[in-house]
Amino acid sequence: MRTLIVAALAMVLIGSRGGAQGALSTQGLGYPTGQMSARAEGTGGAVADFDALSLVSPAAIAGVGASALFFQYSPEFRRVTAGSSTANTTTARFPLVSGILPMGQDWTLGLSSSTFLDRTSETSLVRRQLVGADSVNETELTKVLGAINDVRLALAWAGSPKFRIGGGFHVFSGSNRMTLSQLFPDSAKYISTSQAARLSYAGFAGSVGIEFHPSRAIGFAIAGRMGGDLRAQSGDTAIGRARLPNHYSASVSYDGITGANISARVARDNWSSLSKMGSSVKGFDAWDYSVGAEASGPRVMQRLIVMRAGARFRTLPFGFNGQKVSETSFMGGLGVPLARDRAAFDFTVQRAGRSAGGNINERGFILSFGLRVTP
Amino acid sequence: MKSSSLLLRSLATALLFVSFASCSENLDSSGVCSVLCPPVGGNVQNITLDAVVLDTTVQSLSGLGTEPGLLLASRGDTLDTRVIIRYDSLPFTFSPKSDTARPITSVDSANLLLHIDTLSIKGASQVTIEAYDVDTTASDTSKAAVLALFRPDRFISSQVFNRADLKDTVRYYISNAAVLAKIQNKAQLRIGLRASGLTSAQMRIISTEGGSPPRLSFRATPDTATAPLTLSPFSRTPAGEAIIAYNLSDYTIIAKGPPPGSPSNLDVGGLPPRRVYVRFNIPLNIVDSATVVRATLLLNQIPNPLLDPTDTVLILPSLVLGGKAVTDPTKAAQIVADITLDTLRIMPGGSGLREIELARAFPIWRTQSPDTIPRAIVLKTLNEGNSPLEIRFSSSEEAVALLRPRLRISYTSRVPLGIP
Repeated sequence: MRTLIVAALAMVLIGSRGGAQGALSTQGLGYPTGQMSARAEGTGGAVADFDALSLVSPAAIAGVGASALFFQYSPEFRRVTAGSSTANTTTARFPLVSGILPMGQDWTLGLSSSTFLDRTSETSLVRRQLVGADSVNETELTKVLGAINDVRLALAWAGSPKFRIGGGFHVFSGSNRMTLSQLFPDSAKYISTSQAARLSYAGFAGSVGIEFHPSRAIGFAIAGRMGGDLRAQSGDTAIGRARLPNHYSASVSYDGITGANISARVARDNWSSLSKMGSSVKGFDAWDYSVGAEASGPRVMQRLIVMRAGARFRTLPFGFNGQKVSETSFMGGLGVPLARDRAAFDFTVQRAGRSAGGNINERGFILSFGLRVTP
Repeated sequence: MKSSSLLLRSLATALLFVSFASCSENLDSSGVCSVLCPPVGGNVQNITLDAVVLDTTVQSLSGLGTEPGLLLASRGDTLDTRVIIRYDSLPFTFSPKSDTARPITSVDSANLLLHIDTLSIKGASQVTIEAYDVDTTASDTSKAAVLALFRPDRFISSQVFNRADLKDTVRYYISNAAVLAKIQNKAQLRIGLRASGLTSAQMRIISTEGGSPPRLSFRATPDTATAPLTLSPFSRTPAGEAIIAYNLSDYTIIAKGPPPGSPSNLDVGGLPPRRVYVRFNIPLNIVDSATVVRATLLLNQIPNPLLDPTDTVLILPSLVLGGKAVTDPTKAAQIVADITLDTLRIMPGGSGLREIELARAFPIWRTQSPDTIPRAIVLKTLNEGNSPLEIRFSSSEEAVALLRPRLRISYTSRVPLGIP
């Protein structure tokens, strides 16, 4: 009976679990994809505050020109190295979809959805357990699928070419579907078990952005998002509550060189506000720096190709073993106009290196394919 | 084609290839789990409980003649079993080749085709198999009435077999006159087989239920161009009880069985076959809230040296399905379902701790209330009714507590999955 009481107490104290992500980038509540379009990613994210298709600054949608539908696919090929061990994974993401509709001369409405934190992972751990009188290998399979998504309804006003302002209302929703299987070797003696759970999220936030172009050669942008409550619940039971992180960013863009644009951006995210979500969720407030350029390139098949390049350094929201995980990325890409400029295809490849100190490193190649269509 | 166009097309093709390749996800990062994956599931807890609230030996009531084999044994003072085969429907006419049917007036080469389980044969020397006419109007299940018919005036025939003669298929020739007399008298032929010899002898003959019934064959004419007549076992009685009659078309009758074990023991197997009924009282929090990964019934075996102590007996645990309404353990022990394919291999002469795996019962117990499915199991032998071997265990009446049946359960607490 004493054993039972101890076991029951342990069950209460353990609380909820969902670790074992198997990668530096997917710790905690997941990996922040950045909410940027393929074009913005191509410049390291430096033009994100000016990019109408990115879900960063609501003011930027005023610069869309014609109405647009945009869809993006971004698979990541990741390699995690821990000492002499390695793991190679492929994660398919659809991080951004948006629709933007100009309404008259001054106003623009946009509805976008993007992946905010992607927790998708799968791990398999073998450990020794004493079952009855025998010591056997137990294989523990953990699979988490799903993400927290950010759906934004934005309205922007551009009274003059020099000034744009916009506001956005964000709904954060999504779910994590988790499966834990404990497999034992001899099915005649042991019963392998499997548990499944679905964790759903709901939260709100508001954002505002301003763009100022004092001349044709230079532009400035600032944006901010104020996070509201984010609730996590399993079925009807609330199991976590925290503030969505506030986000601030500032950018400068220089267009003084014909056919070229150079941008720089700095952003700050208060990820630590998510630490209240769970006892082992440790968020770090993080800086995000990026610089990049895009320039008109060669003409191919009578199309003017835009070439892009950029670099980015940021700290990821959730650490590993109490250490911050930093990410350094270098990217390059191109943009191709299609269908007599009624559509555009953007492609970016980025190489991201992540580290938390020690001998654990992560390398990721993220390919982004973006297709913009003007209906 | 311009080089720029070729470049663009090549790039587009490469991108298309990469995008298709990445459609197939591979999320498994097990390679670095030794460092990056802390265990999520709970540790296995092991607990041994004195959970047995009722354990008893009960008779197997599967019914006379339901066994897939017919045990013919002559083991001195220990075991004597006979085999009864009924041919209650004999033909009275036959059709010669290219001729019309005519009455049977002669019988030639009458024999029983017996299929022997050669692995069951005991005894290295000669064995004599005697056949008796055991037709009687007494009750179908009256053991005494049938045994009384194994007497000289009912003797039909006898045949001696060397050990080498006992192969998979054996022809046992019986008296032609006896068969002809039954045919001409329009009577039923019921044959009782008895084994005898200088030393012990034992064999298992495959029964009707086993798929290879003992067939009676004879020629109604010396003309070998006419096919012999072949009959399968058939019983007309009990009237109106087709299933029981089918079972009684061939069956084993025990003239002398080994002495039963102590009433305070738990006995499995033997003749007549016995089962062990065990009911548990398991804490609800284990059945309902924990995930049982292994459950083992710990039994202390008591040696039984009477018969073939080094032979192997396979014991199979079954789940009792008889609900609250079935209060008699003997009846409850008949309403069972197999829960595992794994058997315990055990020798009657062995002793000490024996483990019987019961984990498969717990998922069923969790989903059904004790009133619907009691927390009870039955132990039976795989060769129930076909083997005289009996395994004995200490019961909960055992004076030494450690030798009583116990239940060892290994379980994990369910982990509330959710936020990391």
